[in-house]
Amino acid sequence: MKRRSGKSRKIADWTVRALSSLAALIGIVFLVWILYEVTIRGAKALSPDFFFKLPTPPGIPGGGVANAILGTLVIIIMAALIGVPTGILAGVYLSEFGQETRFGAYVRFANNVMMGVPSIIVGLFVYTLLVLSTGHFSAYAGAVALAIIMLPVIARTTEDMLQLVPNGLREAALAIGSPRWKATFSVIFRAAKSGLITGVLLAMARVSGETAPLLFTAMNGPYWPRSLTQPTPNLTVTIFNYAMSPYRDWQQTAWGAALVIMAAVLALNIFTRLSLREAKK
Amino acid sequence: MTLLEVNNKSAEPEPGPVGSEVIGSYLNSQNRISVRKLNFWYGEHQALFDNNLDIAANKVTAIIGPSGCGKSTHIRVYNRIYKLYREQHAEGEVILDGQNILTAEEDFIELRRKIGMIFQRPTTFPMSVFENVAYGLRLHYKLSRGELRDRVEKALSRAVLWEEVKDKLNHPATALSGGQQQRLCIARAIAVEPEVLLMDEPTSAIDPVATAKIEELIESLKPNYTIVIVTHNMQQAARISDFTAFFYEGHIIEYGITRQIFTKPGKKQTENYITGRFG
Repeated sequence: MKRRSGKSRKIADWTVRALSSLAALIGIVFLVWILYEVTIRGAKALSPDFFFKLPTPPGIPGGGVANAILGTLVIIIMAALIGVPTGILAGVYLSEFGQETRFGAYVRFANNVMMGVPSIIVGLFVYTLLVLSTGHFSAYAGAVALAIIMLPVIARTTEDMLQLVPNGLREAALAIGSPRWKATFSVIFRAAKSGLITGVLLAMARVSGETAPLLFTAMNGPYWPRSLTQPTPNLTVTIFNYAMSPYRDWQQTAWGAALVIMAAVLALNIFTRLSLREAKK
Repeated sequence: MTLLEVNNKSAEPEPGPVGSEVIGSYLNSQNRISVRKLNFWYGEHQALFDNNLDIAANKVTAIIGPSGCGKSTHIRVYNRIYKLYREQHAEGEVILDGQNILTAEEDFIELRRKIGMIFQRPTTFPMSVFENVAYGLRLHYKLSRGELRDRVEKALSRAVLWEEVKDKLNHPATALSGGQQQRLCIARAIAVEPEVLLMDEPTSAIDPVATAKIEELIESLKPNYTIVIVTHNMQQAARISDFTAFFYEGHIIEYGITRQIFTKPGKKQTENYITGRFG
């Protein structure tokens, strides 16, 4: 039998290394490129007016996106109010009560499928459910759409984090006479605290950038959001509308809004990592 | 004689446990827990076979035997902690206060107040020293702030830990040493006034000095509690226990007064084990 030469082995090794390094580099290059472009172009749009004033018609200077910033905050907070408790409780079920049950397995599977559902489909779904039936776009429709996107992510991370808590701690809590639900919320949750918070923050970061679900639900508007039952301006749909418009100053504003969203999500991610590192000490 | 024969033989004259008459007549002690024909399964795998055992009140009963012989499995039936796992299953009788806890109403909460458990590794909760002890108290009693403080202090004193932690009650329990954490777990267990304390190799993860402290503590708890201790350490069993049960492959081979088991074991198998010929 002929032995493989050392040379061909070395070439194979070098090729795989080179290709994988290149692929990694491409990933980083695009990230840096996007960060760079958005920062450079977006920074020009930022001014006090940008944060505190309502939008102006094309050609009239001095407008801002204050209404969209407020709308985005309102929608995300409402989405979190719906999605976080539901997601966490679903995760508790999967980890603590339905871990080995057949129903639990179905829920887990469905949850994983949900995580892969394109967000535009969630948007259309809520549009049919809440916008067509009520006859108007609204903040709460937007919040429900985002909550549906958050729910499976939070349920999954909650289950994973609770499963990381050793069974010894569950036994200890039960052995002192704690009912299962109380052991879960008072002992197991404390042990898994930093992981649970991370899951929630990452889910919030993820939905802050969603556009498609809001396009069909919260829509947009040039004024302050007056009521949760009215179309509600928000940053991502503003970016969509302004960037597609033919007006220079609106395009400029879109870059600014993109920078604000990007910076916020980045900050949320960094904050999450830092708090996780702090908790590990 | 095979193991099966040993077990059958012991059950022949009376369904009572091995040597129970002996113990009754020697010390005239009462039984707190009576186990009859206890069988246990992990899924399909049977781990305990027809265990019969009487646990004497206010005494220390040691359970010894090689790894995997069912010692821990046996005591984990007493407080039904095995119920956490769906595939685990017990049959037979474990009589506490005249009731078979295996068939009684599923009030695990009161059962587990009466039967406390200490684990191999200290299982402090992720909260302060004070809250660790207060946790069980809050579960079972309605107490004012002052009463709660008193009860926590009393439990910590009984566990001979008060002097060491009185200035760090608000520190996280994990900041204590391993031995202190284990005594904290004992304090947490005795705070709710149990009748029985189950200890599953409580000193196996702890250094010798801390082990000595815990053994002293067990000695001091004896008048008020019925203690069942699983141990790998035969010197420990000999030092602290009044009665000893020797387990092998899920069967109780021999049970009797500790001194006798260690000086004049009745079964060859017990002798082999305690003289270190296997295990």
